[in-house]
Amino acid sequence: MRKRTLFGIIITFLVIAIAYFNNSSSISAGEVKSNMGVGGDAIGFLFVGPRDDYGYNQAAYNGSEAVKEAFPFMKLLRVENVPETAEAERVMEEMIRSGAKVIFPTSYGHLDPALEVAKRHRDVVFLHQGGLKTAENLGTYFSNIFEVIYLSGVAAGKMTKTNKLGFIASFPIPQVLLNINAYTLGVRSVNPDANVIAVFNGSWCDPGKQASAANTLIDQGCDVLTQHQDCTKTIIETAERRGVMSSGYHCDALEIAPEGWITGAYWNWDDLYVNMCDVILNGEFKGSPYDGRFRTGIHEGVAKLARFGKNVPDDVKKLVKEKQKEILDYKFYPFTGPVRDQSGTVRIEPGVVPTVTELETTDYLVEGSIGNIPK
Amino acid sequence: MLAKRVFFNKYSIGTKITMALGICIVYGVFLYTQGANPFLIYYEMFQATFGNVYGIGEVAIKATPFILTALAVAIPARVGLISVGGEGQLACGALSSTFAAVYIFKDMPSFIGIPMLLLAGALGGALWAVVPGILKIVARVNETITTLLLNYVAFFLVGYFIYGILKSPDAYGWPFSPRFSDSLRLPTLEGTRIHIGILIAVAVAIIVWYVTMYTHLGFRMRVVGGNVKAAKHSGIIVERMQFVTLIVGGAVGGLAGIIEVSGIEGHLRPMTGVGYGYIGFLVAWMAGNHPLLIIPFAILLAAISVGGNALEMHSGLNSSIVLILMGFILIVILAIGKRGGK
Repeated sequence: MRKRTLFGIIITFLVIAIAYFNNSSSISAGEVKSNMGVGGDAIGFLFVGPRDDYGYNQAAYNGSEAVKEAFPFMKLLRVENVPETAEAERVMEEMIRSGAKVIFPTSYGHLDPALEVAKRHRDVVFLHQGGLKTAENLGTYFSNIFEVIYLSGVAAGKMTKTNKLGFIASFPIPQVLLNINAYTLGVRSVNPDANVIAVFNGSWCDPGKQASAANTLIDQGCDVLTQHQDCTKTIIETAERRGVMSSGYHCDALEIAPEGWITGAYWNWDDLYVNMCDVILNGEFKGSPYDGRFRTGIHEGVAKLARFGKNVPDDVKKLVKEKQKEILDYKFYPFTGPVRDQSGTVRIEPGVVPTVTELETTDYLVEGSIGNIPK
Repeated sequence: MLAKRVFFNKYSIGTKITMALGICIVYGVFLYTQGANPFLIYYEMFQATFGNVYGIGEVAIKATPFILTALAVAIPARVGLISVGGEGQLACGALSSTFAAVYIFKDMPSFIGIPMLLLAGALGGALWAVVPGILKIVARVNETITTLLLNYVAFFLVGYFIYGILKSPDAYGWPFSPRFSDSLRLPTLEGTRIHIGILIAVAVAIIVWYVTMYTHLGFRMRVVGGNVKAAKHSGIIVERMQFVTLIVGGAVGGLAGIIEVSGIEGHLRPMTGVGYGYIGFLVAWMAGNHPLLIIPFAILLAAISVGGNALEMHSGLNSSIVLILMGFILIVILAIGKRGGK
């Protein structure tokens, strides 16, 4: 008897609860305020990794430092190691509760959680780094760093002796594929015999996986390593220790690879972050370039070419500088067709200059790269 | 009976409060040496967790998977088995229910679809526990080892499907499953993320408590857990009992998976629920495998992890500041457990 009563009570309780929750489950559309992003006393930054990873997060963290300096009256709320799951939603909710009306979710996978939070808080502006989806109060910005990576590829193509270059990549998302392609096109433009071997390790920063991938690539005969990871230190150090060269990404890491460093592409977010905050805090987000998909790059100095290593000969430096000037003067664009994929199919027709939006849907690897996109 | 168990401990309530205050003071001094204001930070941490409805909701959300994965440990523990498989069972529950949500129940209305998904999740977790169960009774392989190792297999199994047939076609190559249709999401409280998962978790805890304490089955389980030989002599088939409890534990672990996916994430990702199984094991251990005591301990750990974000945000210190606090609290609890244990 008692058993039945107890279960009866529990089940009744659950049914009532479900009914109650169900009734109220529709989220009412919040009021859209015209001065969104204004009135807060804090700015939030989310990072997927640690602030000192010699990589993506360090670059973004440096940018947030510039914001801190430019807006001394605002409190900066920064959280590192925020996973790309619903956990990020909680961090953003907490930031909003603490007075933030401007939030920077800086990792690719923070986009979906940010969109969810954006639905609930129409008065808060979200600026996502690299996203392809936007919302009323969520804009995305990115820097077309692939143009600099192309230059880094040109230098690497000149430097390689074995004509095998290793590329350690994370996930087969468009931005990563785009960078592999840009690097490969750069290498091939000066060295048609060279190949770029791409491996996907399924993580943004896993030093164990990075070291084993780096060692495997070196064992296969690669004499230049580069990467699209968030933390870059392990791979660069492994390359240096094994006596092979490296092209950098995210940060200028010349000091950790004095012998093997060629050059690399890095971010300089400082001015962009400050300017975005400025526009939003003035209540001018709506209608500004940041409301939507904002893309910038080498011309604005948001993506930069790193220093050259000491073993890079002058003629290579000169060649890269010339190419850089051509790009800066809009005389040359790395992805001008014809661009063929691995199977030889033409993906960008001869003479066609693709838009950034088109490039950001890249789902193939170009001719000259070896490796499979994980399906 | 319950009250006795809850408050039975070698230490007086005064000693416990002193210990808790001691942790706060020592950690506060540490924060102060790092250039942060400990009072402000404690205030913000309290605000973020129990200061308002929102914070309480966040703690409840976070505690839900901890309660279930802790029960996944506590149920086999009743018959003397040490299962560390909550992690893998959660992953498999999430995986099987995602399959069900994407391929079978896609267009079902909530009142059929959600119970079916919960069943699918429980089934996935249970199936994952079948392997250690069979190995245990047939080959006498230690269940701690098998459940632990299968956690890693489960992680990669999820990855295999998410990169493969479960990958969302509109995810731009990003590894996650298609979104659950809205009818298959757990109902939430308006404007918040609080979903009915916490009620399910608490209900399961109560059921487990009731069954183990007040039923014939529960009595036999405790006999097996107390003394295997005595159980055999009194005619209990020990192997069957062990097998069944492992499976039931697995099913509860699987529930944690489906609740996390359907209640919070909305789609399965490689990192969904990673680490929750191990925190659940810790919760079960702290609660002495008592099904009802698991609830407050799960809430405690949930509060630490929710408050941790506030700690990091307002102190402006490195992210490892949260890990230092967690490690500190766990060491103290470990010390108490060691001296106060049976």
